[in-house]
Amino acid sequence: MRSPRSTLLVLLVLTAFTLITLDVRSGGSPFDGLRSAVDSVVGPAQRAVSGAVTAVTTAGDSERVEQLEAENARLTGELRRSEALQRRVDELDRLLELKDLGTYPMVPARVAAVGSAFGFASTVTIDAGSRDGVEPGQTVVNGEGLVGRTVRVGPFTSTVLLLTDPGFTAGARLTREGTLGLATGDGAGGLTYQLVEGGRVQTGDALLTTGSQTFVPGVPVGRITSVQPAVGTTVTTAEAAPFVDVSALDLVGVVTEPPRGTPRVPLEPAP
Amino acid sequence: MTPRRVALGVAVLLTALLAQTVLLSRLPLPGATPDLLLVVVVAFALAEGPGSGAVTGLVAGLLADLGADHALGRVALAYVVVGYAAGLVHDGPDRSVLLPPAVVGLAAAGAVTVFAAVGILLGDPRTTVAAYLRGTAATVTYCVALTPLVVPAVGALVRRLDPHWRRP
Repeated sequence: MRSPRSTLLVLLVLTAFTLITLDVRSGGSPFDGLRSAVDSVVGPAQRAVSGAVTAVTTAGDSERVEQLEAENARLTGELRRSEALQRRVDELDRLLELKDLGTYPMVPARVAAVGSAFGFASTVTIDAGSRDGVEPGQTVVNGEGLVGRTVRVGPFTSTVLLLTDPGFTAGARLTREGTLGLATGDGAGGLTYQLVEGGRVQTGDALLTTGSQTFVPGVPVGRITSVQPAVGTTVTTAEAAPFVDVSALDLVGVVTEPPRGTPRVPLEPAP
Repeated sequence: MTPRRVALGVAVLLTALLAQTVLLSRLPLPGATPDLLLVVVVAFALAEGPGSGAVTGLVAGLLADLGADHALGRVALAYVVVGYAAGLVHDGPDRSVLLPPAVVGLAAAGAVTVFAAVGILLGDPRTTVAAYLRGTAATVTYCVALTPLVVPAVGALVRRLDPHWRRP
């Protein structure tokens, strides 16, 4: 006969299994309301701490101010020089109907938490949610390039699946050849790139998103680091390193509106 | 279980959840986030036995699952199993100081193993050998480090609530 203690264990294990089964069924989880409720408690606290950390790290420091003033003067000079160049670039852009990444409507956000349960998934939590206009499946970028896409969105915070996660795949093309392929996270800080059709790929080639229902086009993804020779298969596979340093993320932008058109010419990001 | 004991459990778990998501998960530590909730579950199990460990494990695990991206119930299942098992360890006034860190370390390894096993059942592409080893090493290290802060505190709270409490 079972003791009441082990009956309790069996009961609780069955409860957990039932919840897992209900949650992974396709067609929406019945627990979305509960998830929002937890985020409504935890999210504002995370935001408050994010704000406090920003305030502390940017608190007055006269040496730093002087340093920044000198840098500001230098950058102003550079800016004037680049303004002339920018006018030329703008003209060319209009000519090519090229959409620049900076023209997408973006919600800025800070990384409020890193990591997932026992470190299996490569995700970060950002301090922007559905109240800021973020939805699941939106492109997340920073100054260097593609960061990932939003997966779980609560009222105050969202989970971002990083591009290095094995569950992450994005269409990407090689800037030099324009060849199409798929970039998938390898779970170890890098990317695996597979050419969809035949084509050549070389070490040093840069990858840009092709644009799909999820990803806006023309976002720098990474650079090819090594190419595996296609032995016994027609699919060429290569390893790539992301432009973004996923271990040092801070400020990111969530692209909240899909682009209207795709760029005609992929642009190589500045080295 | 008295209403006061339920309130204590809820208060400790919510405090741990906030500390975990707001403070510990900001730390740029390699491998995994320190799992404060797991240490709290083991602390209740050591103080009160397998029944308390398993129930605390289910509630704590669901709180962790609700804020995460994986299927709801995966962490809960892991915590139920290790909470129950940790509660079976004989514990008393004569226990060695090394017992709590040893139990917490084993529980952490067990929790990652149960979580990974469900990942394999669900066909989760993240459940790789490398991720499992990395997650286990990091989780065990951080949980053992948190033990001296958490286990005595939870034990003291339980005894204060009911000084005549005897483990079943």
